[in-house]
Amino acid sequence: MTQQLPVQTLQPMIRVLSDEQVRAIHYATLEILAKTGVEMQDPQGRELLLEAGAWESNGRIKIPENLVTDAIACAPSRIPMYDRLGNLTMPLELGKVFFGSGSDTTFTLDVKTGERRRTMAQDVEDIAHLCDALENMDFIMSMGNPSDVPPDDLYIHEFIRMIRGSVKPIVYTAKNRADMEDIYRIAVAVASDEEALREKPFLLLYAEPISPLLIPEESLQKLTFCAEKGIPASYPPSPNTGGGGPITLAGALALGNAECLVGLIISQLIRPGTPFLYGMNTAAMDMKSTIVSYGSPEWPLGMMAQMDLARYYNLPAWSAGGASDSKVVDAQAGIEMTFSILTNFLARATLVHDVGYIEYGSTSSMEALVIADEIIRMTRFLVDGVAVNETTLALDAIARVRPGAGFLADDHTLDNWKWAQWRPALIDRNRYDRWVKLGRKDMFTRANERAREILEEHQVPPLPEEAEGAIAEVLAERAAAGG
Amino acid sequence: MSDILKQIAEKLYDGEDDAVAELTQRALDEGLTPAEVLNGGLLAGMDRVGVDFRDGELFVPEVLIAARAMHAGMAILRPLLTESDVPSAGKVVIGTVEGDLHDIGKNLVGMMLEGGGFEIVDLGTDVPPDRFIEAIKMEHPNLIGMSALLTTTMPSMKRTIDALMEAGLRDTVRVMVGGAPVTQTFADEIGADGYAPDAASAVELARSLAGQINKSDG
Repeated sequence: MTQQLPVQTLQPMIRVLSDEQVRAIHYATLEILAKTGVEMQDPQGRELLLEAGAWESNGRIKIPENLVTDAIACAPSRIPMYDRLGNLTMPLELGKVFFGSGSDTTFTLDVKTGERRRTMAQDVEDIAHLCDALENMDFIMSMGNPSDVPPDDLYIHEFIRMIRGSVKPIVYTAKNRADMEDIYRIAVAVASDEEALREKPFLLLYAEPISPLLIPEESLQKLTFCAEKGIPASYPPSPNTGGGGPITLAGALALGNAECLVGLIISQLIRPGTPFLYGMNTAAMDMKSTIVSYGSPEWPLGMMAQMDLARYYNLPAWSAGGASDSKVVDAQAGIEMTFSILTNFLARATLVHDVGYIEYGSTSSMEALVIADEIIRMTRFLVDGVAVNETTLALDAIARVRPGAGFLADDHTLDNWKWAQWRPALIDRNRYDRWVKLGRKDMFTRANERAREILEEHQVPPLPEEAEGAIAEVLAERAAAGG
Repeated sequence: MSDILKQIAEKLYDGEDDAVAELTQRALDEGLTPAEVLNGGLLAGMDRVGVDFRDGELFVPEVLIAARAMHAGMAILRPLLTESDVPSAGKVVIGTVEGDLHDIGKNLVGMMLEGGGFEIVDLGTDVPPDRFIEAIKMEHPNLIGMSALLTTTMPSMKRTIDALMEAGLRDTVRVMVGGAPVTQTFADEIGADGYAPDAASAVELARSLAGQINKSDG
């Protein structure tokens, strides 16, 4: 018999926009760029755009379609990201999905006391340390804004704490060009030299325009710095429906797309081929509390929709998920985190940040991160689909079984159980009596214990001496300048 | 304990049936007695499996894979062993009670008890009280274990215990019950001697109950 081909496994994937819808949003974006225009506050960016064929009217910079098309064609389709030890751990490519912490919360739930308090620099390092151990956290983004450092040096301290706390790739933020230069100096010292950093980048910039339609000078300067140095960058706007964006998701997507593409165009005009991570954040502004909701269904729906746009442009994309509006790590948090993690995985969002947020992004929680790690693992099993082949169809075992007697002790079970079923690590499936015996612990308590155990036991390789030297220099110079 | 017996116990724990068979043969070739290989190797390994399963460190298939390895060793030893070489933790008659056709949970308990060194007589499913009585008369077990998956078949457990009393057999055996709807309270109400919520604790329970009964003919 001719050897037959195996049955291919369908690995479920979600699209939420049809080709026609994607084109319609793309056309709307072109209309916004060419007719409405953006307010460009950076003189260098303005010059670059005008020279390339944009024009200015009524104080707005208006961008023609060909600049958009050229920039999309010019941008690399993949951004290989490395850990600080030089291993390729996060190839940002369409079809792949990566998760990470984030970002910049004001408060944290103290893992020892349970108290909600202001974030300190040590928390940023501790959470990086925790994420370093969590298998499904692929990158680190500062989980909080430390309140115990000089405000002007905030992002420097965040970067230092992240890079000490973990070897994983870092998504970082900066205040201005001076921040960018100091962070770059430290990163070069970690990598050993500029070339090594350019060839194996372990940091990616998160800068953003202000929705709607405002391109601040400092955000563009940060982007420009990355383009000059070959450091990957993202420029996701936040056209949250009813706030930074129109109340309707389609309009928010068209607007956010326009703002993001301005960043893409600038990066490619400065240096064609600059690695640029497409994407936007489309949460909903709640019409009662006016919080930007990280539990709303609009958020994952928007993130899935922008992935359809990303595929249209053949660019890997920024995304967000695994967060909650709940003030505590409770059932609401579980629902909201699961909802956005599952949808991001199904939509194959490339780089998913915001994992571990609670309180609509105001508070970080180590427990939420530990729980998210389990949700991601669970989701990964589901998205893997149902393999159909001779082994999995189990016809021999079915033929062998005594009716009613079960498969538990069958060789087919004993040979395949390990991979055929998903096994929880944090989720509790004990029988009642055993659960009681183990102390009647709920999910939060178990996650808290796991987090503390990791902080106690997990070791992170220290930074090279030269890097600690560069850090000391940067901090000393800043202290001198401040005093 | 000699090195080879330690290896047998380890390979058994890991469920490597071929290695267990090979090492069992080698131990005999090296001059160890069948009883030494059984007690110091196979049963020592199985004891560790039982302890770790009870403590929640092993999954059911891992226990069954270890049991499969135990069988591989026993296939070589059995023809060489005399009756007195084989220690038994006791004899248990098990069955799913009258009106209930559910087999899987009862089978699991049976396998775990077997792994724990008990001799098992499995009466199957839908077992009426008089078949339990018949088996007690024939097999002289230390224990009987009744299983029910349905709330509607739980009363059969009480009927069976009542029948044991009427037949004058109640004091000759200890009775344990289990199954999804069964609770300790129910077990107490119907006059059972013990209840186990899962297969691992069923082994513990059987051990403690078997210790209370000394069979003159065992």
